[in-house]
Amino acid sequence: MKAPILKQGPYLIASLQPELTDTDLLQLQEALVEQVGRFRSRGIILDVTTLDVMDSFATRTLRNIAQAVGLRGAEAVIVGIRPEVAFAMVQLGLDLRLSGVQTTLDLEEALAILDRQHKELGRRG
Amino acid sequence: MIDDTKQDAERALMREMGITEREIARRRAFLEFGDEDIKELMSIHALAEQYADPVIEAFYQHLLSFEETRSFFQDPKLLERVKRSQKDYFRRLTQGEYDKAYIEDRLKVGAVHERIGLPVKSYLGMYSFYLRTVAGRLFEAYQDAPERALRASRSLMKVIFLDIGLAIDTYISRREQLIRKQQEAMRELPTPVLQVRERLLVLPIVGLLESYRARQLTEQLLNSISATRAKVAIMDITGVPIVDSKVANHLLQTVSAARLMGATVILTGLSPQIAQALVAIGVDLSQVQTTVDLQSGLEEAERLLGYRLVPVAVRTSADQAQL
Repeated sequence: MKAPILKQGPYLIASLQPELTDTDLLQLQEALVEQVGRFRSRGIILDVTTLDVMDSFATRTLRNIAQAVGLRGAEAVIVGIRPEVAFAMVQLGLDLRLSGVQTTLDLEEALAILDRQHKELGRRG
Repeated sequence: MIDDTKQDAERALMREMGITEREIARRRAFLEFGDEDIKELMSIHALAEQYADPVIEAFYQHLLSFEETRSFFQDPKLLERVKRSQKDYFRRLTQGEYDKAYIEDRLKVGAVHERIGLPVKSYLGMYSFYLRTVAGRLFEAYQDAPERALRASRSLMKVIFLDIGLAIDTYISRREQLIRKQQEAMRELPTPVLQVRERLLVLPIVGLLESYRARQLTEQLLNSISATRAKVAIMDITGVPIVDSKVANHLLQTVSAARLMGATVILTGLSPQIAQALVAIGVDLSQVQTTVDLQSGLEEAERLLGYRLVPVAVRTSADQAQL
């Protein structure tokens, strides 16, 4: 199964499904890092709302995606970590892997954050 | 039926205190309370019947001559009843039956004394008076055979120490039960999650924060963040008496979990003592936003949410200027 990547203005939105395997995740990473360059995207949004488990591999991959797209000039925001998932991650010590990555409650919030940063960058540029 | 429920209550008490047939046997063995002692006690039964009344009379005279114990026997009717049951006990001591029913009875009596708040020192004092007086009577009765009096008082001492042990254990068990109940009550102290503004939650935490409660609190906060789409949550720990490394760790976990969901947590109400203690034990809260009190926490939260608080008077004059 391939995770769909949607283009929304200057941003890319990827929705992670529970069925995704580790290989699928790596493919998603490849695709996102590549497309950020192709579309000259300013930000990517990783939606994990439907995930009820986040293991260490998924967490690490999300962080890797964030860092890699960051090197290519895009901000990454993770959206929709559920309460029970957040709690489990903290208990397992996985939260540290995501420190430095922005997280928001929902898509609206993520878009608002990216817009704000986009504007600030624009002003500076 | 009433007897049934009463018996049930006594059984429950025995169960709770872990007093089984085996435990009773162990206690008796430790006191070296054996069959010879039972024989010894039974041999003085007739004598005990004789001196029961005068000894009990002297016993209550003694109790009534002290302020601490007098107050428990104000009601003359009650005094009569207590005297009667005391006499029963007195008889039972030399009847030779120290079975489960006897033990149950001792526990019940202990529980009653604990309930009315009779101090342990008075309880022990009462037993001491009793032993002394009866021993005196025994030596008086067996003037020609002091050996016998000694043997009988030794056996009496053993059975009485068995009873004292049971009574004191009832006291302790009751207190432990009370402590357990209070701990449970503390644990059930609810921590409300209050929404004070759109997307702003406040959690006033009061009382001890142990693992179970901290976990509950975290879950509650995370669910509330998800339900109200909160962006900022203020945890006020003014009412938390002790913040050790364990509690600090719980707080850190809560803050991290909330951050994963996209909410910022502001920790408020760190007292000077707690702040210094945390530094001393090396807890690093630098990843957490902290402010001195709830007010500054609210101000910080409003800033994060993009609110600006303007006093009414200023606004009206500005509005007027606009008009």
